[in-house]
Amino acid sequence: MHIFFAMAPLNTPDGFGIWVGAFFTLCILSFLYKDNPFFRFAESIFAGCSLGYYIGNTFSQTIVPNVLEPLVHDGHTPFISWGWWVLVIPIIIGVNLYTRYIPKIAWVARFSLAIYVGYYAALEMMLKLQGEVLPQSADTIISLVPRGTPMIDWFTSIVVMIGVLCVLVYFFFSAEHKGVLGGVSKVGVWFLMISFGAAFAYTIMGRISILIGRVVFLMGDWLGYGA
Amino acid sequence: MNFMDWITNLDRRWLYLLVGVFAIVPLIFPLGMPVNVSPAVQSLYDHVEGMNPGEIIMVSMDYGPSTGPENDPMACALIRHALSRDLRIVMLALYPIGGVNEGIQELQRCVGDLDPPNGVLESTKFPGKIYGKDFVYLGYKDGGLATMRQMNENIHEVFPSDYWQTPVTEYELSNEVQGYDDVNFAFSVATGIIGEWWANTVNAQFGLPVAVGCTAVSAPKYFAYYNAGQMFALLGGLKGAAEYERLVLDNYPQAKADTEEQVFYAAKGWDVQSVVYSIITIFIILGNVAYLLERRRTRMQL
Repeated sequence: MHIFFAMAPLNTPDGFGIWVGAFFTLCILSFLYKDNPFFRFAESIFAGCSLGYYIGNTFSQTIVPNVLEPLVHDGHTPFISWGWWVLVIPIIIGVNLYTRYIPKIAWVARFSLAIYVGYYAALEMMLKLQGEVLPQSADTIISLVPRGTPMIDWFTSIVVMIGVLCVLVYFFFSAEHKGVLGGVSKVGVWFLMISFGAAFAYTIMGRISILIGRVVFLMGDWLGYGA
Repeated sequence: MNFMDWITNLDRRWLYLLVGVFAIVPLIFPLGMPVNVSPAVQSLYDHVEGMNPGEIIMVSMDYGPSTGPENDPMACALIRHALSRDLRIVMLALYPIGGVNEGIQELQRCVGDLDPPNGVLESTKFPGKIYGKDFVYLGYKDGGLATMRQMNENIHEVFPSDYWQTPVTEYELSNEVQGYDDVNFAFSVATGIIGEWWANTVNAQFGLPVAVGCTAVSAPKYFAYYNAGQMFALLGGLKGAAEYERLVLDNYPQAKADTEEQVFYAAKGWDVQSVVYSIITIFIILGNVAYLLERRRTRMQL
């Protein structure tokens, strides 16, 4: 164990960046005491920076290498080569989305939006059915007799199956939840409560991890602990 | 004022302060809390151990700086594990807000500083491991789901150049990997939904084995995929990271030395988690007991 502090220097670009980061971290953490102008300032700066970063990153990592570079350097003959059209058509569809900001021709953007929605609807449909509904349903179909599987795994599968059925009954609103249906849906509520509890506990774990990240940044990068 | 009145009226800012203090202390004085390895994590370690030298792992950096404390140690442990076993790594990023930076940061943390455009290709931490031959970083691509589908047809069309804008065909490794068939498995270090896409699209539709290292918030949902066999391994949050890191550190001395050089790594984070979690649990119990006693007292007065 060694305790050693050497604060980040303010006169280097990296050091200055760390000081700025530490300032904004403390601004955000100040909300824990109470809402204040420093917190709001840091919040607004973060929103703006995130958007700017996203645009710059997408431009340099996607638009330039996948669209502009091939268009300029791949030797496509405009209007004639197929490769040129493959690049230009998506550009037209993309740029077309921005016509919604010109009121007179705003309707033109709907064509691009329709293509976008159609593509992702089809993609999601496949994904949900083949990637979620079928495999997840299959996982709840189990043998009622434990054959070759450890007893604990078999028991877990039975609990999962009962849980799925009870929760499905709870979300069945076409009949009044009375009698057997009421009892089963009550068991479903218990399963839901347990799952919410587990999810909440995991959420706390995640939030503590974020706090750890900031504490490590302040202690390590800014104050220089362990440097 | 008795203890129960005190606890029900306690200003929550005292609790914040307590959590803050106990988040700092274990980082300075590590406790070395035990880490029990779960089957979901052991499965990833065993799979990597079972691979032949030269086989390729695709590592997708699908998270940003906000979840770095959970996801960084997972990525680092896998990179160190793979390189220690002479496996090859193709890295890429699909998360828009910071994925690309997390990728280069973790890669350089594990292999040392690189500058491929100026000829600095060899790892300083894994001597003999060369950028472009043993590991390569393709950078970020927008589009998420559409990008994943397209990668099955031709990765070179999706990633024509690497992070440093060098054509991928110029490097032996990236030239060799043209689709999912060329890699042994994909490891998504994920926040949010992108890790799910690897399971319900890449695994379900293209059959590539997938492992995911997710944030704790997402873990309950990801366990459904793991139980259904749609991913063969799952590292859930900092706990999963600490388990995998423990396995790697116990078996690879070089990885242990490199990891313990860092100010922060998963095992240290796990100490903090354990302490802060205990405090929160105690206060939840105290709060509930106080609430029940208060309710009982009110009923008795009626």
